[in-house]
Parts: sequence; structure tokens; C-alpha cells
Amino acid sequence: MTKTISKKELASWLDGLMKDRNLIAPALADQQTVFKPVASVDEIAFDFKNTALSPKEWFFPTTEPLFTIYQKDGVTELQPIDIEKESVVFGIRPCDAAGMKLLDKVFLAPPADAMYAERREKTTLIGLACSEAAPQCFCTSMGSSPGNAGDVDIMLAEVGEGYTVEAVTEKGNALISNLKLSDSNESAPEVKCPAELQVKDVSKAMQTRFEDDYWSRVADRCVHCNICAYVCPNCHCFDIRDYPTSEKTERIRCWDSCQSPGFTRAAGGHTPRPTKASRLRQRFYHKLLYFPERFGDYQCTGCGRCVALCPVNIDIREIITDIQKPGVKSGTKA
Amino acid sequence: MSVDYQPKIIGFLCNWCSYAGADMAGTSRITYPSNIRIIRVPCSGRVDPLFIAKCFKEGADGVFIAGCHPGDCHYVEGNYYARRRFVLMGSLLEYLGIEKERYQVEWVSASEGKKFTQLVSAFTDKVAGLGPRAEGQ
Amino acid sequence: MDENIINQIREKAKELLSSGTVECVIGYEAGTDGMTSRPAFIYEASDVERLVFDNTCTHNLATYLINKKTNKVAVVVKPCDARGINVLLSERQIEREKVYVIGIVCQGVVPVSWSGSGKDLQMRCKLCNQHAPVIYDFLIGEPAVEPVPTVSPWTSVAEMESKSSAEKTDYWNKQFSKCIRCYACRQVCMGCYCKECFVELLDPEWVGIKIDTSENSMWNMIRAFHLSGRCIGCGECARVCPVDIPLGLLNMKLAKEVAEHFEYRAGLSAEVRAPLATFNKEENLGIGE
Ligand code: SF4
Ligand code: SF4
Ligand code: SF4
Ligand code: FES
Repeated sequence: MTKTISKKELASWLDGLMKDRNLIAPALADQQTVFKPVASVDEIAFDFKNTALSPKEWFFPTTEPLFTIYQKDGVTELQPIDIEKESVVFGIRPCDAAGMKLLDKVFLAPPADAMYAERREKTTLIGLACSEAAPQCFCTSMGSSPGNAGDVDIMLAEVGEGYTVEAVTEKGNALISNLKLSDSNESAPEVKCPAELQVKDVSKAMQTRFEDDYWSRVADRCVHCNICAYVCPNCHCFDIRDYPTSEKTERIRCWDSCQSPGFTRAAGGHTPRPTKASRLRQRFYHKLLYFPERFGDYQCTGCGRCVALCPVNIDIREIITDIQKPGVKSGTKA
Repeated sequence: MSVDYQPKIIGFLCNWCSYAGADMAGTSRITYPSNIRIIRVPCSGRVDPLFIAKCFKEGADGVFIAGCHPGDCHYVEGNYYARRRFVLMGSLLEYLGIEKERYQVEWVSASEGKKFTQLVSAFTDKVAGLGPRAEGQ
Repeated sequence: MDENIINQIREKAKELLSSGTVECVIGYEAGTDGMTSRPAFIYEASDVERLVFDNTCTHNLATYLINKKTNKVAVVVKPCDARGINVLLSERQIEREKVYVIGIVCQGVVPVSWSGSGKDLQMRCKLCNQHAPVIYDFLIGEPAVEPVPTVSPWTSVAEMESKSSAEKTDYWNKQFSKCIRCYACRQVCMGCYCKECFVELLDPEWVGIKIDTSENSMWNMIRAFHLSGRCIGCGECARVCPVDIPLGLLNMKLAKEVAEHFEYRAGLSAEVRAPLATFNKEENLGIGE
């Protein structure tokens, strides 16, 4: 037995949520579907494959002030940033929700990142199962699935003229407590993810291939932009800089990427990864070896954005496959 | 527009001519609007288009550049190169929405103190006439 | 796919690699989506079968020459990419003796995104009046009568020019506000080879790390400016932009100014200096009259 809600009721429920919360949902912005704050249910795109950018920026913004320092009458004052009211992220896909779990491991590990923690605390995630997978998707291989409810507070899946509703967490339960749901025998059809990868031995294989020529061969093609890191729901590196003016100093945090030449450059100019090949290798070692060693999971949830958006087809699925076959040069197809 | 509106104008003046021209205007006690904040550069060729972009980004209402007359550059060719850049930069600014009246390049020699004050006065009037820059411009 | 072109590329690549003439052949191979092509670096004669050529070969491979300066390499170029080689040569970034140019007489490429390609030609191809490369060591295909473009290159530029300042500001702010500063536009550009880009300089810091409209505008404006008279119009920057900023509309504006003021088009010859790297004493360009 499942609980369902009609499309109309869903709309009026979301409408109600919007009254005292920010509603962040997939919506069209200049021809692309992205997560953004919406002011009306009409703006929401219910029918999309996956958004161009991941919803991570609502927890870990592209740019955010961490605090401001004022100096008044000889007294230095540090002013923390106020976090907005409660939010709801509607329409998050299972892969991106799994990505939030991974970000949690990084940002909530003690000492927790105050800004991230507060935003996370104040936000409810409403998941939306995929009714169709995109050709770049491989979530199933990375431990999730198009209908996985494990990483959200409330899970919805489209059935007929409505959605099935499942409250996964206490937070989710609280949000739907006043909702009138109907009982139904229907359940959402199972959706298949196109790629089935073998991932079991990846970390083991990575341990032996650090010095392999493979990396410089793949790096030949990589143009070393930051696209893959910026569209990834799990990449979390940042840079911090202070901006002083005569009245105040703002400390700013911004996204950064291991592909950029200035990444982790130390005072004095030393860069631990001076070559393009070493930077490309870092990306995959972090995702497929260092992160699992430290946190137990691959740092990739199979959303496929980097696969689709890389200008030169550096395909993590291909790398996962290649790396488990000793002696492979760049160029086997995933 | 309020009558009190005072545009902020940044002036890049070549040390060898225009800056001396401005100096001469001063010593001859010719008055001109004090809206212009002058930055002395060794040659008009030193004015990187980045400087111009940065001025507008930081909120300047107008940018005025002056160098030696063609043929008189202290470094012989600096202003020949510079004027090509200035022309392209001017059209790019206009294309991005910064009115072309907010940007002017002139040749002013050390003896042209009078001309300098006239140009700056006219430019200031023009920029003031446009009013403050639009939000986000 | 044109089997004839592909076979000639493979044969040439094999010959160059087995004779040791070049260390590597930079060409195209099939991508993982099974529909579009991607750049390929072939080091061994036994790998030449990977090489392909079709109308999804959009990448400008001249970009890669900057990273391959030590040993001689061969590169497959379309006519537009070939102009890029001329730009690099005239700016002394690569040495002619170290590049073996395999030029292709091109029939145009289609808009490409992962797992999909359009039917219609790309805009640059509709504007193209030069289907044979301007520079090559080995030419594949017969240069036919040169095409006369049916579209004027400056139509979209003129449309933007005719807008009011407020409309222009509005339009570009909207576009630049989307920028996430991934710098993919810079990274794929054959003209953007500076070891240290102005956008990453710390002292002075021209562009702050804040990803906001004001900083982004500075970045986008100067990126375009630094390519004025150097951009060959390959359109790669706009193709790779993940947030679809119409970078071509900026580049084209500067190309138009360069054409009008200096009667110059980038990359037609390796001997001529780019317009901002030279001058003409007689011109007055409307300054200081
Ligand atoms: S893998 Fe692709 S998206 Fe990532 S840096 Fe390289 S070229 Fe850019
Ligand atoms: S600016 Fe863009 S269109 Fe021009 S050469 Fe560079 S990548 Fe190609
Ligand atoms: S590719 Fe697009 S988003 Fe990336 S830096 Fe360039 S303009 Fe900005
Ligand atoms: S020295 Fe005055 S313009 Fe060059």
C-alpha cells in the first residue's frame, strides 16, 4: 500500500510551504533547468532529466561571506552571517541527494562547518524519483538508483496523475503531517539506469597505478577547466580570501577546483601538483581512492554531469573501467 | 537628476605631455571642474584596458585619457599602439552598455593647458548630463 | 563519416609515426557516447585505427600545440583551426618545424553536445568562406570553389549595437551573472595561452574571487578584449560554456571592429602581426580631432 497525492494537491501544498520558507526547485533559467528559489509553483519544472547544475550551491554557495570584521572606536568586532529562514529543496534527484550525504561527511565532520551545518539543519529535502534516466546516468553503479529514497526527507515518485509520497525522516514526517494523502495500490514503475559498471576493485586498482602513464595520456586531452568540479554534486573544494575596505573586512569563500593551476598553491609559490597530468590524476584519486579510504564511499554518485559537460569527453565511467584492466592506454570505451 | 550630482571621473594623463599640460593649467590659474581624479602614467601606452574596465567596475562615472600628440610620444611609439587599443576598448564598452560619452581619449601637449581645461570641462558636463550610472552597469 | 578522409588520415599518421617524424598525432577519435568525436593523441603506429573524422569534430586541436612544444607533433586541422596555427606562429608560440599540419578540406561541422548533435551546420560554418586550410603540410580533400556565405557575419552584432545602453547593460548582466568562472572558455581557446592569466593574478588582483555579476563582467570583458584581432572564430569557447553565455557575440563584435578599422582578419597569415601588436602612423582612428 502506498500513499499518493494528486498533482493539484501537491501544487497547493508547495504553495503553502512557500509562505514561511524558501522554496528551491528546478526551474527554467534562460533555457536551462537549474535549481533556484521560486516564487510560484508555476515556475517549477516537474518534467526534467537532471538539472544543468547540481543543487549543492544552496548549501555550499559558489560564493559566500563567512563573516565581516568591523573596527569601531578602536574595538574590533566580528560579525557572523545570519542564515536565512527555513528552506525546502524540492525535486532533488537520488544522485544529488546521495551527493548531499557525501558533502555531509566532509562539512559536518567535527569541527562542523557552521554555515553548511545551519543550512542543512534548516532545509528539508523533497526527492523526486527519475521517470527516465539520461544517457550519461550511472547512479545504480555507484550505490543509488533512480528511485532511491535513502538520502532525502520525503520521497515522491510520479504515478499516473499524481505522486507517491513517502516520509523518510522525522523532518519529512513533520512536513507532511497535515497533508491529506490517499491510499493506493499503485507504485511507480522501475526505471533502469543505462550504465552498469564494475566498481568493486577500483580502489584496489588505483593503489597500484599512481605512476602509470595512463594519467598523462588522459591528461593530454583534458583542457583543465573547472567544469567537472563545478557541476559535480560532491566536489567541495574552496578558496578563502579577505577583502578589506576602509570600513570593514569581508572574508569570502568561493568554489575552487583541483584542475586549476593555483589550487593549493602555498605562500612562496610552491604548487604540489605542478603538471596537468598530476592535477587530472588528483581528481580521480580523490574520488576513487582517498575519499573511500577516509569515509568509506566513492566520492561519485553517478549523476553523469561531468560526463555530459566535459568539453573533451573525459568520462569517469571509462576511467573506472580502464583502471581495472592493467596495461590499458587511454581509449577504451565505457 | 539633482543639481548636486557630482560625477566621479578618473583621468589617466601621460607624464610627459598631458600631465604637464594640466600642471600648466594650474600654474596659469585656469579653473576646471574638480571631479577629475588624475592618475599620472609614464605614457598613454601604459594605460592597460584593464585600468579602464576596473575604473568602471569600481564605480567611476567617466574615464578620460590623454597622451602626447601622435609623433610626439616620449617613447616614440607608445601612443600609436595605445590608440588602437583605446578604439577597440571604447567600442567594447559601448557594446556592453556603457555610454560612449563616459569615455574619451585626447592628445594634449605640455603647452596646451588651456585645451586641457576645456576638454575636461566639456567632458565633465557631458558625463554629468548623463546622470549617475544605472544600477549594475 | 567520409571513409576516404579517414583512411588518408590514418595512413598519413601511420607513416609519420613509424618513420619517427613525429612523436604524436593529434586527431579525433570516437567518443564514449557513440555519437560524437573527441580529441585523440596517438603515439603508436598500431593505434592509428582509432583516428576518425566526421561532422562532429568540432574541437580546435591547435589549442593542444602549446602543451606539445618539446618534440615534433602532427595535428589534424580544419580550415578555421588552421588559422589558429597561424596565430600561434605569428606570436612565436610554436615553431613551424615542430608541427606537421594535416589539413582537411572541410564541409562544416554541426552543433555538438554529449550524446547529441544537430543537423544544421554551426554558425561559424555558415559564415565560412574558406573550406581549404590556409596552412598545411599535407592536404586531404580537393579544394573546390570557395563558398560564398549566405549569412552576414555581423547581423547579430548589429542587432545588439542597435539596442539602448540600458538594454545592453541588462542583457549582458543577465548573461554574465550566470558565469560560474570555470574558465573552460579560456582553456579551450588556442589564443589563451598565458602562463598566468590576469584573472588569477593576486597582486594586483584585477578580478576578485567572488563569483558575482560585477567580477564576472570584468572577467568576460577582458577575456574577449585580450582576443581582439586574435580570435579566429572557432566558436569553441561558446560551445563549452556550461551555462551557455553567448561568448561569440562578444568575440564577433571585436572581430567586426578589427575588420572595419584595420581591415584585418585573424590567422590568414603567419607573417602579419595582429592589429594590436602593430600600428600605422597615418591612421587617426577618430581620436583627438
Ligand atoms: S576533465 Fe573535462 S571538465 Fe574536467 S578539467 Fe578536464 S576538460 Fe575540464
Ligand atoms: S575566443 Fe573563442 S572563438 Fe575565438 S579563438 Fe578563442 S575559443 Fe575560438
Ligand atoms: S565557460 Fe562560461 S561559465 Fe565558464 S568561465 Fe567562461 S563564460 Fe564563465
Ligand atoms: S610619452 Fe606621452 S604618450 Fe607616450
